[in-house]
Amino acid sequence: MWRHKKSPLYRPLFNSLSLALLTLAFHLAALHGGEVDFVRDILPIFKSTCFSCHGPEKQKGELRMDSKELAFKGGSTGAMIKIGDSKNSLLMHRIQGLGDEPRMPVKADALKKEQIELLAAWIDQGAKWPDSASITAQLKKHWAYTKPLRPEVPKVRNGAWVRNPIDAFVLAKLETENLPPSAEADKTTLIRRLSLDLIGLPPTLREIDAFVADTHPNAYDTLVDRLLSSPHFGERWARPWLDLARYADTNGFNFDSPRQIWKFRDWVIQALNKDMPFDQFTIEQIAGDMLPDAAQDQKIATGFHRNTMVNEEGGVDKMEARWETMLDRVHTTATVWMGSTLGCAQCHNHKFDPFRQKEFYQFLAFFDNSDEPALKLNTPEIEVKLKAISAEIKALETTLKADKTDTKSKDRIAALKDQRKEMEITTLVMQERKTGMPETDFRIKGSYVNKGERVSADTPAFLHARKSDQPANRLGLAKWIVDADNPLTARVNVNRLWETLFGRGLVVTSEDFGTQGTPPTHPELLDWMATEFVASKWSMKTLLRHIVISATYRQSSKISREMLQRDPNNKFLSRAPRYRLEAELIRDSILAASGQLSEKMFGPPVFPPAPEQKGVITTNKSAVSWNTSKGEDRFRRSVYTFWRRTNPFATFVTFDATSREFCTVKRSKSNTPLQALNALNDAGLFDAARALAGRMAAETTSAAADGKLAHGFRLCTGRHPGKDEMELFAQAFEKEVTYFKSNEPMAKSIKGSATPPKQVTEPEFAALTMVANAMLNLDETMSRE
Amino acid sequence: MKQPVTSENLKHVTRRHFFAKTGFGIGTLALSALMNGKFLSQAAAAAELDAVNPMAPKASHYAPKAKRIIYLFMAGAPSQVDLFDPKPKLQEFNGQDIPAELIKGQRFAFIKGTPKLLGSPHTFKQHGQCGAPVSNLYPHTAKIVDDIAFVKSMHTDQFNHGPAQIFMNTGNQIIGRPSMGSWLTYGLGSESSDLPGFVVLLSGEVDPGAGNACWSSGFLPTTYQGVAFRSQGDPVLYVSNPDGVSSETRRRSLDLIRGINQKHLAATGDPEVATRIASYEMAYRMQKSVPELADTAKEPEHIHKLYGTEPGKISFANNCLLARRLIERGCRFVQLYHRGWDHHGESQAKDLTTGLPKLCRETDQACAALVTDLKQRGLLDDTLVIWGGEFGRTPMNEGRDGSKFLGRDHHPRAYTMWMAGGGVKGGTTVGKTDELGYDIAEDPVHVHDLHATVLHLMGMDHEKLTFKFQGRDYRLTDVHGHVVKKLLA
Repeated sequence: MWRHKKSPLYRPLFNSLSLALLTLAFHLAALHGGEVDFVRDILPIFKSTCFSCHGPEKQKGELRMDSKELAFKGGSTGAMIKIGDSKNSLLMHRIQGLGDEPRMPVKADALKKEQIELLAAWIDQGAKWPDSASITAQLKKHWAYTKPLRPEVPKVRNGAWVRNPIDAFVLAKLETENLPPSAEADKTTLIRRLSLDLIGLPPTLREIDAFVADTHPNAYDTLVDRLLSSPHFGERWARPWLDLARYADTNGFNFDSPRQIWKFRDWVIQALNKDMPFDQFTIEQIAGDMLPDAAQDQKIATGFHRNTMVNEEGGVDKMEARWETMLDRVHTTATVWMGSTLGCAQCHNHKFDPFRQKEFYQFLAFFDNSDEPALKLNTPEIEVKLKAISAEIKALETTLKADKTDTKSKDRIAALKDQRKEMEITTLVMQERKTGMPETDFRIKGSYVNKGERVSADTPAFLHARKSDQPANRLGLAKWIVDADNPLTARVNVNRLWETLFGRGLVVTSEDFGTQGTPPTHPELLDWMATEFVASKWSMKTLLRHIVISATYRQSSKISREMLQRDPNNKFLSRAPRYRLEAELIRDSILAASGQLSEKMFGPPVFPPAPEQKGVITTNKSAVSWNTSKGEDRFRRSVYTFWRRTNPFATFVTFDATSREFCTVKRSKSNTPLQALNALNDAGLFDAARALAGRMAAETTSAAADGKLAHGFRLCTGRHPGKDEMELFAQAFEKEVTYFKSNEPMAKSIKGSATPPKQVTEPEFAALTMVANAMLNLDETMSRE
Repeated sequence: MKQPVTSENLKHVTRRHFFAKTGFGIGTLALSALMNGKFLSQAAAAAELDAVNPMAPKASHYAPKAKRIIYLFMAGAPSQVDLFDPKPKLQEFNGQDIPAELIKGQRFAFIKGTPKLLGSPHTFKQHGQCGAPVSNLYPHTAKIVDDIAFVKSMHTDQFNHGPAQIFMNTGNQIIGRPSMGSWLTYGLGSESSDLPGFVVLLSGEVDPGAGNACWSSGFLPTTYQGVAFRSQGDPVLYVSNPDGVSSETRRRSLDLIRGINQKHLAATGDPEVATRIASYEMAYRMQKSVPELADTAKEPEHIHKLYGTEPGKISFANNCLLARRLIERGCRFVQLYHRGWDHHGESQAKDLTTGLPKLCRETDQACAALVTDLKQRGLLDDTLVIWGGEFGRTPMNEGRDGSKFLGRDHHPRAYTMWMAGGGVKGGTTVGKTDELGYDIAEDPVHVHDLHATVLHLMGMDHEKLTFKFQGRDYRLTDVHGHVVKKLLA
């Protein structure tokens, strides 16, 4: 997806975004009598409409528009541009379809009115076309390619609202837009929001009560600090990182065999929990093996780039497969750390950003000097057991030599070998070769079989230079990425943290900070956070603390009609965002509400109850069967669920989780009937409804139904139900009790193998289960308010 | 309610924006009724969903010839030289070394050294008015050749199953691009409001298959990914209520959910809550429509005879019948995968005289029945049927490890596919292979060209159906693809 295969004939036909920008640029230029800028205003039009037929590949009508000299020279019908005279310029005639010749571009939509006017204005203003060096220099000045400077915190009228600099930036914008910020959300909403955001779990009722009762001025800060230091913090924040890292427990493709790399997942959780500085976090994952006296953990961290897929088909060309893996690593590295679409330069020079094709291969070379072993991580106890097994195998083999028909020994050996395999703990790592420097072959038009010159590892020339302690190898690359001069890394990563909390980045195209991405809605805020991030020694927790402490974050998420009209996407942050929880959080918060959630951390992946696969045609020949886990492993945090790439856990897929086959920056947030069916009917989630019904019955003292219903509602949403809501619940409950009293076999089926608490009869338990099932399906339960 | 197709559809990613955009239509009316405390009726909820539903039908670029597609994906790659592309010269030189210059510099998945040419062990006859040759392995299909357009000159870039299947579906061998069905439902929506718009049906062996990635929505919103029906139990996961929950009980619990959600909609003012209400109502409708759809037992006897179906059995034939029922109910894109065509000759079960005929028996009658049935219902005119694998097979015997069984290796350079219905010229053949069937001799059709043609038949310009991602307008055909005019009626 990050590359288009062979030909450099890239032709975006319709580019709404640049059009929008263009329109804006035009209005600025026209309204203020400003000058049309070739690079900003004209070049994108040429690129998107002309180059595919009149560029380096084809020169229809002997015309070439990608070079100043040739464009002015014109084609077979003569000069295209008459400087200073748009009315008599052939270019203008052709794009408007004047005269007998067909309108240009022939195969695509006509240019927009604004584009035509821009071109006319450009020609009339003298058709200024800078030389290519100046064009590159100008592209380099793209905001994201310039190192962020600490901006001054703006002055605002409503200073009382401001809790920290973040608010000043947000409020300054709101005041310009004449939009007031929203009031602070109530405390119950705030603690639920904070808990879901920071640890991925809803607060317990006791935690809510304590926070609501705590009138100390520092109550909020104390809560934030408690959550930031919770061990669940890492489990929650590992989720987006593992999507980026494309972490999974199988190889992908046809065979999709299991692999062991869960130690990497645990490493991420631990690193996040101890707030490992982001620069170190980066260096260890890209090149931990190359650090002096690399510790075992630092080697485990390099699993980041071992999360690539492996095609185990018999006919695979191993070197080509390795090559594809490296392409993935280039793409992933550039996307994750720099929001760059470097992958676009695989087949040709980047069309919009100043990446040269050669630089793509120079970047790839960083990864072309590594072996890819599995690291053994057996504990001493395991080693002792393994020794014993090996000894037994050896003994059996000796007996087998004497009697080759001894099937008993044969079977035993096979069983022991399986046992040995299961017992061994390994993890996939990168290991730099001892000899040689990384270099690789250029590929003409990006084709694997079409080799060009040999290139050495290097970073793109238009970005900051590598320093003396950043050699041309993987470690040097890692250090270069987190160099203080890198204009992208800090911005890209604070934007992503912001996006996780607000559902939308300050740069909406969080995967693309290049010239085709959208500019930030709050550029100064982004730069303030980026510089703050670096200044606070790349502490992710410190940055998150800044954000969640702000008044901006604490706003209510209620949407007024005015907001819906004036700021439908909440671009200006006049309210807190409100969105459906992500897949893992939905399951985890349901398990928390039902009281089933296990707090056990780390270890091999688990297999929670999933839809029956027996007899169902699967999508591949994966040998993995879903042997549903026993005991508390059925109810572990979702981050520990076995991730099978070609067929991930059903509930995750339904709720927009990715397959982890490739690096994903942001997931969709869809809202579909399949989600409704899943949440209503999944056996595991229905079992949670039974467990919740059990809590409703057992944890309340009053015999009346109201108390039980209110308790269930609070466990799901954190708040007390309103009077009108209580009425609906009570009516529904009564109806169900009546129904199940006269349909006892149904009540028995609903109960299943659960043991209802003694406080309720079987029909009451069934009725409570149905209400609990509804409560777990409420929009509010599934949303972060 | 028809939405023009623009690259702005990124906005589907968060439906809020879409809602806001259509906010002056039904959406706002229903919303304001809700916010004034009036309860949403089921009908209003349905209208609400249509207003925000990314699967709502959308206008095509120009008048379409085909409105829906049934794609019979023969996974594992059937042998063109044993089914549709007879090569007398191959018979003549059977057992001789292939000329060295022909395979110079070529990479094969398994063949090592200089392989020997292998004439087909099967016989061919010409059929229909068009006189298209079909082997004795595909007798039913032979009867419908006048409705079929053969492409004898398909070629692809990939020679391993996984990457080639991904390529065939997404136009790229690396996982991450949207599949054809996703592109089409993204561009056109679906006519069905209570069934998925893009359905995948599986049969045959497990191997080989690239898994869900074949029907992935890639970087398009996940709403557009294919829904793989399950071959046992509920076809759509979770469509059945848990034990003890009757349809009436479920209705009552949905009423409760709706009641509380409506209050919450009024409290939050978030249109997304309205979408959730509508989604739950549609889920309830699906609980009725899916079992009705899957109940093929109700089909008359002559239909079962035509297809060779046995209700309740997992088979390609059953899936063909199900596919017809799906498109009758408005589904946009049904893709069937029948797997096991990978006949390398490494064993008898995987050879050309035992393995290949078995796969043909499993598919031939149902393929022909589907086309016939669509035709007799007047559906063939605007339904496109596509048949084919991810690549072809070598005109040479593979002889892996000296195997005595006949088999062929992967061959991306030339293979056959066919299409029928929806704007395709029946009784025609496009392209030719050389005398040995090794290379294309005339009118090469690349996978990108096939994609361009399929989109064209559906009324979509493959250069205009785009989605902006990471700064680039992506297409199914990437930067390639030409509509194959010779295929069009």
